[in-house]
Amino acid sequence: MDMVWVKNMEPIIRVENLTYAYPTSKDFVLKNISFTVNKGEVLAVIGPNGAGKSTLLKALNGLVPHFYGGKYGGRVVVSGFEVLNTPISKMSTKVGFVFQDPEDQISGLALTVWEEVAFGLMMLGYPREEIDKRVREAIDYVGLTGLEKRSPFELSGGQMQRLAIATVLALRPEVIVMDEPTAQLDPLGKYEVLSVIEKLAESGSTIVLAEHEIEEVVYFADKMLLLDKGEAVAYGDSRKVVTMVEELKRRGVDPPSVTELTSLLKEKTGVDVALPVTLEEAVKIYSELLR
Amino acid sequence: MSVGVSLLKKTTIEAETFVQRLDGRVKFLYFLWATIIVYIFFDPLLNLIFLAVTMALAVYAKCWKPIALTILIIVVPWILFAVPILALPLGFPWNKTIIGYINILGKDYPVYLEGLGWGVTWPLRIAVAISTALLFFLTTNQAKLVATMFKMKFPFKLIYMVIATFQFIPLLASEANTIMQAQIARGLRTDVGFVQKIKNYLAVVIPLTLSALNKVQIRAIALESRGFSAPVRKTLLYEASFTKLDYAFLMTMLLVTVFLAWVYVYIGFSPFAHLPWIWSG
Amino acid sequence: MSEIIRVEDVWFRYEGADFWALKGVSLTIKKGELLAIIGQNGGGKTTLAKNLNGLLKPTKGRVLVDGLDTKTAPTHEIVKRVGYVFQNPSHQIFESTVWKEVAYGPTNLGLSPEEVKQRVEWALSEVGLQGYEQYNPYDLDYGKMKLLTVASVLAMKPQVLILDEPTTGQDHAGRHLLSNLSKKLNREGFTVVIITHDMRFVAETVNRVVLVSNGEILMDGSTREVLNAFDVLKKAAIKPPQIVQLASELRKKGVDINALTIEEALQEILKHYKG
Repeated sequence: MDMVWVKNMEPIIRVENLTYAYPTSKDFVLKNISFTVNKGEVLAVIGPNGAGKSTLLKALNGLVPHFYGGKYGGRVVVSGFEVLNTPISKMSTKVGFVFQDPEDQISGLALTVWEEVAFGLMMLGYPREEIDKRVREAIDYVGLTGLEKRSPFELSGGQMQRLAIATVLALRPEVIVMDEPTAQLDPLGKYEVLSVIEKLAESGSTIVLAEHEIEEVVYFADKMLLLDKGEAVAYGDSRKVVTMVEELKRRGVDPPSVTELTSLLKEKTGVDVALPVTLEEAVKIYSELLR
Repeated sequence: MSVGVSLLKKTTIEAETFVQRLDGRVKFLYFLWATIIVYIFFDPLLNLIFLAVTMALAVYAKCWKPIALTILIIVVPWILFAVPILALPLGFPWNKTIIGYINILGKDYPVYLEGLGWGVTWPLRIAVAISTALLFFLTTNQAKLVATMFKMKFPFKLIYMVIATFQFIPLLASEANTIMQAQIARGLRTDVGFVQKIKNYLAVVIPLTLSALNKVQIRAIALESRGFSAPVRKTLLYEASFTKLDYAFLMTMLLVTVFLAWVYVYIGFSPFAHLPWIWSG
Repeated sequence: MSEIIRVEDVWFRYEGADFWALKGVSLTIKKGELLAIIGQNGGGKTTLAKNLNGLLKPTKGRVLVDGLDTKTAPTHEIVKRVGYVFQNPSHQIFESTVWKEVAYGPTNLGLSPEEVKQRVEWALSEVGLQGYEQYNPYDLDYGKMKLLTVASVLAMKPQVLILDEPTTGQDHAGRHLLSNLSKKLNREGFTVVIITHDMRFVAETVNRVVLVSNGEILMDGSTREVLNAFDVLKKAAIKPPQIVQLASELRKKGVDINALTIEEALQEILKHYKG
């Protein structure tokens, strides 16, 4: 008898026909969105401001609909839990959420960086020894070793955002959701945070992030979802989506500069080259083309 | 990890004296106790003694500046304002005993003991209350404060609101500064009349309030996402428990109470200043 | 072109701080320039910018605005000449309608109601917000709120316009809009100074770049010069835009290309491709 090896491709996030309107919004903010995310995948959500990216992300940890109310249709299942029927506090053990503004995430109850990272574990009643262990791990992972006794307010933007990531990591969530984590940071802060995200991606974390820094995100995003006016306009392999130059431009999204450049070149000359998505790919293509 | 922190400061100040080490509940009790005692007695000199003791503790604990500043801003003008109004014949109903005369613009006016006593005693009572309360807040770090209030069975959300408010006051203060700058950049002028000053005030307060409300909302969302509302027993990092130091302090307070009770019965409600009885409600 | 702002060996320290935020900075801005001040947060670029319009006064040294010394002239006179648009719109907006918000500045200048009306209408049309006069500012999306703050400072018709991090929190369309607006205002005669750390925005918008790091000016030159000075940028932990990096890498491989923007790169490549 032959043994057939069957891979379990059960997605860790399943969104089916998600439709949502805030209580105060006249129009639906999300319209019939469907996609899946497998364990270990990184999904980048791109699109203009107002497209619904934040709302979509918040639907993954229960803030939508439990915190905001509103009209909700469709299904969101994360780590086996249907979000509609699960309280936020339960979802927070499965889904870690990092927000855009580093300072807005500081709890205000913690004296030191160490306590801030421990905060979530304290709220969920973990025993003291477990807290000590996890906090140590999380702080070291994001590179804040040595800053444990500082006040969270004394940190730089990049450090604060890494602190936020550490607080999330301490809870060992199955999915990490990030809403434009580098938008409020200076170049150094962006670099610090993107490095941590890349490290997480490489070590097999499941990540969903909304970002405008497309040129950086292509390096580690497996899939991309293009959102505009609440609708899923494009979804699939990140290379496929990011090279849909016309579609992106039409929605007000800039593809990576090298991708756009090559697309224009192809238009003008009809030359047959693949569209590069990173600097390195572009250098290879152009040095061959122009020598 | 022993760091004393001022709730009103963003950064931690290193101060590790016995005052910081006292349990929060003991310091809170000290505040209540001192306030009640100076209310039972009607004696500005007694009030000054309490104030001096509190300030001495504050100096030792390296947090006297904010307390002194607050007293200076609230209490001193009050005294300067109240004493003339009450002590001079301007209608204070209990004025009976004349202790002297003061010459204003050529005429001699009587100075009354009752008014003077009232004008000095009341603000000093408030000064004792404020200084002991501030001593409590400034020498108790928020983790210990949380543990203290938790032990006192306060609901967690309430504890959070109180502590978080203090944490965010310096943030809001620096935001107010930025907002002021933004409005100055649009022509707001400070060398203006009263009506315009009101408009100036609104130009800072409105954005500040909206910003504060927004911050509160965003923070609430962030906290929810970190299990804030989980219906489990929270693990606290500090156990609030009494040490020998706390018992020693409580014992001292008890002895002083006994002593003052004796003073009250045998000497009276105004043992040092010997003020006459008036309704000091 | 004549000078509008001159910074002479300025040292600046915030009250209560034990370090210098600006250390002997000198800079001249001529009328009609379009420049960017770049650098890491905490490096001094905002401190420098606020010294340019009198919000902050130099601890040592002096800043001359249109001949006036910011330390001695009244702040409202300086502010009339140099407008400053703050980064966060909610730090400014307090009126209940767009119209009133834009009218605040010119009213403070003491202009007549007629003039105020003219200024408001002009400013709103400059930024493309005509039609939104009666909207509540908080009903606008972030991008339009940003434009509102620009309009409200523009309505004061300053000679110099300083934009503090205009692209933070914006999407790509918003960045293009602000880039085009900055260039348009510059064409119309405004001197425009943009504080930013968006290098692509810098490459696509300004002619001159001042790099501030650790309280000092590391480099002050044309956009092309500064964005190609990789070793200097590295010291300030700044990465040049992707196109500039591409051009540099290609030059290393023997392809002679020098470009700041996609359009420029396209032209250069077409030349090589044809020839």
